[in-house]
Amino acid sequence: MNAADGDRQVVITGMGAVSALGFGADVLWDAMKAGRVGIAPLLHPRAESLRVRVAAQVPDFDPASFFDERTLPLLDRVSQFGLLAANQAVGQSGIRFDEANGARTAVIVGTGVGGETTQDAQSEKLYGEHAQRLHPLTIVRIMANAVASHICVRHGITGPSFAVSSACASANHAIAQAVLAIRSGLVDVAITGGTEACLSYGVFRAWEAMRVLSDDTCRPFCRQRHGLVLGEGAGVFVIESLAHAKARGADVLAQIAGVGMSADAGDIVAPSDIGAARAMRAALADARMDPAEVDYINAHGTGTLANDTTETRAVHLALGGDAMHPAVSSTKSMHGHALGASGALELIAVVGALGEGVIPPTMNVLDPDPACNLDIVFHTAREVPVRAALSNSFAFGGLNAVLALRA
Amino acid sequence: MTDPIESRVFDIIAKSAGVDREKITAETTLKDLGLGSLDAIEVIFDIEEAFDIHLPDQDANLDADTVSGLVTAVRQAVASATPATT
Repeated sequence: MNAADGDRQVVITGMGAVSALGFGADVLWDAMKAGRVGIAPLLHPRAESLRVRVAAQVPDFDPASFFDERTLPLLDRVSQFGLLAANQAVGQSGIRFDEANGARTAVIVGTGVGGETTQDAQSEKLYGEHAQRLHPLTIVRIMANAVASHICVRHGITGPSFAVSSACASANHAIAQAVLAIRSGLVDVAITGGTEACLSYGVFRAWEAMRVLSDDTCRPFCRQRHGLVLGEGAGVFVIESLAHAKARGADVLAQIAGVGMSADAGDIVAPSDIGAARAMRAALADARMDPAEVDYINAHGTGTLANDTTETRAVHLALGGDAMHPAVSSTKSMHGHALGASGALELIAVVGALGEGVIPPTMNVLDPDPACNLDIVFHTAREVPVRAALSNSFAFGGLNAVLALRA
Repeated sequence: MTDPIESRVFDIIAKSAGVDREKITAETTLKDLGLGSLDAIEVIFDIEEAFDIHLPDQDANLDADTVSGLVTAVRQAVASATPATT
């Protein structure tokens, strides 16, 4: 329906990010172009008792410098990241909300685990310190929808707003919902993306038990890869109908031309090439995009043995004879795997690639894995015109969400 | 003569896979027994709990490893853990 109904095309007009590479979507993009790696030795009060050695943590984050004394107690770290990214996105888009357009705006934000920092700290009080009472704001900090609610409050947005959760695909699923809400005419504008602050002792222990964490760094599509590196952060966007953007004279950064979603309905963790390819093909079909148009794929590219070869097969299944055409990279090698925020951080890479004709590289690679037979951009950015791109997210639980974008 | 470590590992695998212990040999892989990657991680967890050891982290195809490979890893982990407890 999208191409036929031109004024309901969905475009991005603002971006914001908080990540291991710093504050701001522009800061993140510049770092990714330069191949700067945000993965570093883990800083955590219990680091010594953990086996995990590295993470992609937001550096030098002092929430008190961003939020006043009344607001701060309401915000888990996950909401702090999400709200800051949303404020940046709204600022860039130049949009101002009043009673009328506030009601015609949605806030749909993805998160994998929600207020984990609060959850972990309060659990320790309860079980470790045998506290008899917990902080009265525990619930409002933990709830997964907290960040969407705070974005509504901060900007006076009164339209349909909620959280979306699908582990590592949460951001892409949230953005897909927002695109569909605009296309359907339900709203004109949406604030959408993903946020995650999951680097608690409990979560690290749980990931250790799954034996998929790397002990040095994230090396996607590399023969020596041996796991993912957890990260944190948020990416948030202002998206709106093309007609709405034009009417208010907004700068258009890129078009979200298609969304594709699928469930593997198979193994709860092992990825499926067929399921992933189904989501990629659905995104192409929704965008009415020929596989030959796709010049860039921002891969899910976690750097686990299972993902990278499965994703390679999925690209071949989805693009057929055109599979070797697009440049492919995994920016997780720089910003880490921020779970529910990943798709949003990666969308910033895609928008940058479309806008500037620069493919951000896959870093940390020693020897390319011949089993990953794609045109993968390693080590340094590549300059090439990018007409259209795909952004892949494939979650534990077998839930896949792919976005198709045009310049 | 039965090796007690091997015997215990076989017990754990048999229980996890829900198969007759007699079907397991040193050359069997967890995959042969119908165990997927997540099942394999659970077997490793059960073994670690039973022997109070830590098996090396690896993002590997655990389900493709043979039972004898697992037994060797357990034996090494038990051996390296022993001096600390005596």
